[in-house]
Amino acid sequence: MAAEVKKGIDTTKNPIPFEMAQVPGPEQAKCYMPKVMGAIIKKAKRPLLVVGAELFDDPIMFDKIIEMGKMGIPIAATAHSVKGFVDRGYLENVYQIGLHPLTNNLRFPDWKGLDGQGQYDAVIFMGIFYKFANAMFATLKNFNRDIKRISVDRYYHINANMTFGNMAFIPDDYHAAVDEVIAAMQK
Amino acid sequence: MATREGSFSVEDMKNVQINIGAVVKEADEWDQEMGPHPKPGVATLRSWDHMIANRYKIMYAPADDTCTLCTYGPCDLTGNKRGACGIDQAGACGKIVLIACLMGCCAHAAHGRHLYHWCMDKFGDMKFDMGDEILVDSPLYQTIMGTKPKNFKDFNEGLYYLEEEVVQLLAATHTGQESAFIDFESKALHAGMLDLLGMEICDMLQIVAYNMPRGAADAPIIEIGMGTLDQSKGVLIAYGHNLAAGAEAMLYAESNNLWDKVDIGGVCCTAHDLNRIGLGKGEAKVPAGIGMKPKVAGAMGWWRKMIRSGVMDCVMVDEQCVFCDVLADAEKRKIPVIATTDKIMLGLPDRTNDSIDAIVDDLVSFKMPGVAVLDPVKAGEIGIRVAIAVKPKRAEAKIQNLITEEQFKESVAKCTQCNECAFVCPPHIRISKLIADAVKGDLLPFSNYYEICVGCGKCEQSCPQGINILDLFEYANRQYIKNQKFKMRSGRGPARDTEIRAVGAPIVLGTIPGVIALVGCSNYPNGTKECYDIAKEFVDRGYIVVTSGCMAMDMSLYTDVDGKTIWEQYPGGFDGRNICNTGSCVSNANIGDAAIKVATIFAHRNHRGNFDDIADYILNKVGACGVAWGAYSQKAASIATGCNRLGIPVVVQPHSVMYRRSFIGRTDKPEDWMVIDARDGKMQQIEPAPEAMLYIAETKEEAMVEMAKLCFRPSDNSIGRGIKLTHYCDISMKYCGKLPDDWHIFVRDAKDLPLVYKEQMMKELESKHGWTIDWKAKKILTGPLRPADVSFDPTNLPRKIRTKK
Ligand code: SF4
Ligand code: SF4
Ligand code: SF4
Repeated sequence: MAAEVKKGIDTTKNPIPFEMAQVPGPEQAKCYMPKVMGAIIKKAKRPLLVVGAELFDDPIMFDKIIEMGKMGIPIAATAHSVKGFVDRGYLENVYQIGLHPLTNNLRFPDWKGLDGQGQYDAVIFMGIFYKFANAMFATLKNFNRDIKRISVDRYYHINANMTFGNMAFIPDDYHAAVDEVIAAMQK
Repeated sequence: MATREGSFSVEDMKNVQINIGAVVKEADEWDQEMGPHPKPGVATLRSWDHMIANRYKIMYAPADDTCTLCTYGPCDLTGNKRGACGIDQAGACGKIVLIACLMGCCAHAAHGRHLYHWCMDKFGDMKFDMGDEILVDSPLYQTIMGTKPKNFKDFNEGLYYLEEEVVQLLAATHTGQESAFIDFESKALHAGMLDLLGMEICDMLQIVAYNMPRGAADAPIIEIGMGTLDQSKGVLIAYGHNLAAGAEAMLYAESNNLWDKVDIGGVCCTAHDLNRIGLGKGEAKVPAGIGMKPKVAGAMGWWRKMIRSGVMDCVMVDEQCVFCDVLADAEKRKIPVIATTDKIMLGLPDRTNDSIDAIVDDLVSFKMPGVAVLDPVKAGEIGIRVAIAVKPKRAEAKIQNLITEEQFKESVAKCTQCNECAFVCPPHIRISKLIADAVKGDLLPFSNYYEICVGCGKCEQSCPQGINILDLFEYANRQYIKNQKFKMRSGRGPARDTEIRAVGAPIVLGTIPGVIALVGCSNYPNGTKECYDIAKEFVDRGYIVVTSGCMAMDMSLYTDVDGKTIWEQYPGGFDGRNICNTGSCVSNANIGDAAIKVATIFAHRNHRGNFDDIADYILNKVGACGVAWGAYSQKAASIATGCNRLGIPVVVQPHSVMYRRSFIGRTDKPEDWMVIDARDGKMQQIEPAPEAMLYIAETKEEAMVEMAKLCFRPSDNSIGRGIKLTHYCDISMKYCGKLPDDWHIFVRDAKDLPLVYKEQMMKELESKHGWTIDWKAKKILTGPLRPADVSFDPTNLPRKIRTKK
């Protein structure tokens, strides 16, 4: 494990859509290593973390997301995931909004964002029901290409720009990879 | 073109062509003027549709970045590029949406057309009579067609109209026809509206022909579940949506005194309809009370579990939602199959014209796995005779329905934990984990996930080890399915006029917080229990809850601490704290019907040929919200779209993204929320109520919060708004642990504030939103976007302005 951490977790393996038949067309996401992912999120001017109710299945993820939130990245808590933040007493930059209305807003350049400060330039999806996240990525992929689509989820998300390979069945590696993303963001 | 008996004057007309179509004879008892849009054509209601689409932005989630519809293809449309024909991604999505809605609409319409011919053949022309308590007896028909059917024969006009429109719509999907996504959506809304009409025709025909309950709040409580079928008898299963053959089987069993030898179990909506037969108070051409004799086996989502249970002896399929591998699954278990309509013939020989004895022999001796018999009378008799005669033969053949303990162990031992199956499972069940536990002798996880598994069988096909995963589920739950026995209220049919009169004002003022319609079935994101949970939450809170089809069946499978199903916990009226089972899939029309009846009976709106006016009333004043939870079919897509055209918002489950299109408002754009005040024609900004027409929720918790929100209407009075806000906030507190972020935008006055939260909310309005409060008088001084005004008369139609400028 220690050696792995040094080298970093390889998040580029197994680039198959988690729902196998979700192969939409010629443009498909690339897998990235956590460090690169972290650096790119860090570079984003208006990033938005978008999280969903699958976090309840792996509650430790709430803490990791709160860590990212504390670095100043606003969090859109979709579905009823806001409950996890309420329970942890962290609501600082957490907004309760459905993924559907959020994605609708994201596709319009004139949307002013959850804080009224303007449209986002990168969205980072985590802990969202696969098919739903995939579809909302598809909306942005096809109808607003100015926003970078990043998945830091445990699945290969074909409609993102940047994603991990499938890590759904290796939770320890996934957690370590997310930690590496966070570490890279902190650099 | 509107055509009405009488004279008309033409002033200042030049170059005007007048087409005189069919003259509608309506001089008799109907005192309503003909509205502007009888029999609307493809483009007639386009401006209404565009109004919807401008406020509720059409949003696509393409399931495919390519198009392969013609030989120019495949075309890459990624990033809204155009294909060789010039269509862009949005247009291509719109085209698919329209095709899906047409599939749904046609499924119901063709069902209606079949029933029309069948009922005319069997019963002859009958008076269309819904009884004394339902005088507005075909609200959708009247609103769309502008005429009132009085006999069965009259429905033919509605079917002809529908069929013509469908042809026009389908033509628009050819390459080089429609290309603008907004017009595809207008056409899809048209298809959705036609679907409502087709469903209504279908349901009205069968209600009258088969003397089904006409708005019976006390429709009987009946048994549901595979465990209700008596396995000492031959068990005939009638599966699908068209009651014709199943009803004939019942009549055959009745007239030949065979009920002690045979049990009939309905699966999917055929179950609802068989169980309604003869329970009405109208003209009786079928034996009274016969609907109490068949059982409801269950919803279609349970099919693959049911057929593995070993309970069935013969399966009769009719139409819609029949799993395409029904024959393979049945053949494996030596269950003869009879295909009874030309929609689904399963590759079987058409034996319609053969002798019944010969067909029964062939099936009972397993000479052939199934037959197609397109005459319902013949098919019904064959079904009963085969079920009885094949029972001992099946016993002799020692058919293995379930795997043995040994086979179970062998199968689970084969699992390599490769997780290929997890990559295809819609509800993302970690099957390998269930298997690993089973290897250790713990079958509980297999039981816990039994109702979450949607029975799609995709896992089996992906397993490199060839493990029959559904058989594993069945083995682990063998006791459950055989003993599955619950209670359900049988389909009651439409809301009665008296019920509408009683609830009209409370709905429009908001004191009944809303009408919640739960429809759509089988592909639940997280198990069938969610149907019960959602229904229970809202009926308990005093909403009017209406449901139908498989959703009504699936919510019957759960009980409270006293062992009571939801149907035994609450009465069956169209009223607050009541839950209605309106009936089968086509009975979904009754939901639209009820909304129209609020407009026409309570508010005295003319509905005749006046669709957009009625939809406008519903959109602005009737706090109704549909939820298609688990919706899998194209019918669900078209029903939801039809509801949308009628001004009823719908929440759908996350798998519904496969429908590609949703309608959702931008609450940050004031200009999108302007309505006309019909009193003086002034424009007024309203709160986003309802904020969406088709909303996709990820979880049932999100769905419930949203459903409560989608019941707000600009017409709510302060008491009503306060009640709705209370539920919206309570549900959010319960499932999200906090008040929703946007509660304040629905506040117009301190009187709108829910009592429990009043103090806290007033403080927040001041501190967080900058509103000014007179704390002494407990009044809001500034902040709301508009004052509460009980006589405010919001409309989106300029023609509704009362004082013309
Ligand atoms: S219909 Fe149009 S977009 Fe589709 S394959 Fe043909 S040319 Fe391409
Ligand atoms: S049959 Fe059940 S377990 Fe198998 S893929 Fe379908 S839902 Fe999942
Ligand atoms: S696909 Fe088959 S072998 Fe692989 S985990 Fe699933 S059940 Fe086991």
